[in-house]
Amino acid sequence: MTKQTRTVDKMTPPDVRDHPTEPDSAGRPLHVTNSGIEKARIPAGMKILIIEDDARMADYVVRGLKEHGHVVDHAANGKDGLFLAAGERYDALIVDRMLPGVDGLTIVKMLRATGNQSPVIFLTTMGGIDDRVEGLNAGADDYLVKPFAFSELLARLGAVLRRPPISQTKTVLRVGDLEMDLLKRAVTRSGKAIDLQPQEFKLLEYLMRSEGRVVTRTMLLETVWDFHFDPQTSIVETHISRLRAKIDKGFGKELLKTLRGVGYTLRAE
Amino acid sequence: MLNSRIFRTISFQLTALFCLIFAACLVALLFTTYLTTYAALRTQMQTDVRSQLNMLAEEANSDGVDTIIQDIKERTASAKNSGFYFLGDSSGQKLAGNIDSVVPVDGWSEGTVGEAAMAKIEILPDEDHEIWGEGIHLSDGYFLYVGEDSYRLRAAQEAIVDSFLWSAALAFVLAVAAGYLASRGFLQRIDDINTTSLAIMDGKLKQRIPVRGTADEIDRLSANLNRLFESNQSLLESLKQVSSNIAHDLRSPLTRLRQGLEEAKARPASNASYSAAIDNAIAESDQLLATFAALLRIAQIESGSRKAGFKDVDLSGLFERVADAYQAVAEDQAKALEVSVPDSIHYFGDGELLLQMIVNLVENAIRHTAAGTRVSLSLSNSEAGPRATIVDNGPGIPAEQRGKVFEHFYRLDSSRTSAGNGLGLALVSAIATLHGIKLTLEDNCPGLRVVMAFPPQR
Repeated sequence: MTKQTRTVDKMTPPDVRDHPTEPDSAGRPLHVTNSGIEKARIPAGMKILIIEDDARMADYVVRGLKEHGHVVDHAANGKDGLFLAAGERYDALIVDRMLPGVDGLTIVKMLRATGNQSPVIFLTTMGGIDDRVEGLNAGADDYLVKPFAFSELLARLGAVLRRPPISQTKTVLRVGDLEMDLLKRAVTRSGKAIDLQPQEFKLLEYLMRSEGRVVTRTMLLETVWDFHFDPQTSIVETHISRLRAKIDKGFGKELLKTLRGVGYTLRAE
Repeated sequence: MLNSRIFRTISFQLTALFCLIFAACLVALLFTTYLTTYAALRTQMQTDVRSQLNMLAEEANSDGVDTIIQDIKERTASAKNSGFYFLGDSSGQKLAGNIDSVVPVDGWSEGTVGEAAMAKIEILPDEDHEIWGEGIHLSDGYFLYVGEDSYRLRAAQEAIVDSFLWSAALAFVLAVAAGYLASRGFLQRIDDINTTSLAIMDGKLKQRIPVRGTADEIDRLSANLNRLFESNQSLLESLKQVSSNIAHDLRSPLTRLRQGLEEAKARPASNASYSAAIDNAIAESDQLLATFAALLRIAQIESGSRKAGFKDVDLSGLFERVADAYQAVAEDQAKALEVSVPDSIHYFGDGELLLQMIVNLVENAIRHTAAGTRVSLSLSNSEAGPRATIVDNGPGIPAEQRGKVFEHFYRLDSSRTSAGNGLGLALVSAIATLHGIKLTLEDNCPGLRVVMAFPPQR
């Protein structure tokens, strides 16, 4: 059984789950301890604001983020949230869509209108495709549907916190001795050419751009395949294992690492 | 009971109303007749009286009073003549005629002649008889009066009034009777509808309103209500089915969850085994959440709200994306996924849902077949709209189960040991229905052929 956070529409907290599950080759769930979360390397000491009216959900997220060394402020309604977000500088905002007073969508629109560019992740029970598009159009950077795994939130937070500037002109990506030439669409490791299928190329490009960060299965499904629902078979696992066979097999040091129960990361050391 | 309610039925009230309107028209007609008849008779009487009076007056003026004394005597003596005459001198003394005295007033008078004037014995006791007539003063103080019995006129008047009353009474009786008769049948049929509705509300879902086959409006209403009851019954039955399936399908994972936790608590063990028990519990809750999520998604799709977001979708592109994503998965399981999709077939719909429909069907073909299976995916366009097929040469679905696989939680593997929540094809069916796609399962001999016939665009 696979997790299905993206297709949940109206689940409410406290359905927060700490572990996404990952099917093994037989498609059966496989669970591991939360050692994976420690490996999800999010820069510590970030200042994060969470605007969430559900006290249990907010407490859960605040505690989790504090454990990871972040400074966290919490606003229980839209008005306070907007006040805090406009007055202070935050590295990231986690905003619930449905809030008493000012709703999340309005908060983000108002912040963006005043030139505030802090990354925003929407938390929501509204998971329809239109809600998602609406949220992203309002200026949010990511969109997470409840119930979600905490590791998923951490991974996405990591992605928005270190999101590179949009005007990226780099044509060659490098992770250790792995090189990707975006113009020639060629990949080499230690100078040896590696032949990749188009989907493997897309997958590797995303992993290389997210170097050192954790990417979850859901993030890969959304960005590489544009699947905003949870398929029952292991598309991600299949393509990752094929990619791994091509870029890691026979090169000694493993670059593509699986963080059990969390996701994947590509890093050199 | 039934009788008293008849008077309150709409059909009775309508019938009665129409009868009353009819009666009112009749009264108006009779009243007009009365007035016209009365006026005509009166005029005729007046003309008659006046012509005699004038004739006698002229005779008196030209030939002298004595000639008309003779004339009046002749006239009163004649049995044929029904007139009344009086001729008096200036002192009011009667010279001739069959009336004893008359108040000497010129001009037309009705009933003013008085009792004293009643000369004809036979008409005296009858108060209906009145002498109407006209008098005139001749030269030398002589007074001449000619009158007639107004009985004819008054009898006609009475006859007309009588017929008024009789007609009105008859109309009223007819109104009540017709209303009663019309309502009795109507009320019976309304009662049928009422008793059937009450019975259905009472839980007797199989009851139906009797239909007479006359195709009148009550019959059509009954037939439509019967259809409503029919669809209600089938909806309720499928709801019952779904709820009992949900109860059944959620009980097993909940039971497993509970057993696992109980076991972990009962057996003092290492941190590692606790951690494994927790992971198992999380996995079971994930499965429950996933099942709920799928149910909610199906409900959301079935509500039709997503129709508002329909856009132009590159159908060919969707099929290619699915093929690209699943070819590697199929190969890893020693199966083949073949694709034959022409470019640029577009369709108006919800891209994400259509993608999920294709994904679910392809995953189904890959997951429920043995190694070595070939799955082929094809799309074509025709006058009748796009047509897609997903064909495999696996074990297929037995004909008698093909209709059931789209039901919630239905699984061919009744032991439910294989992965999946039994909602994949229910979701497919909901998406197809939303788009008006005709979904059929056929025997591929061997294997399964799923045909998606998209309706033609606009």
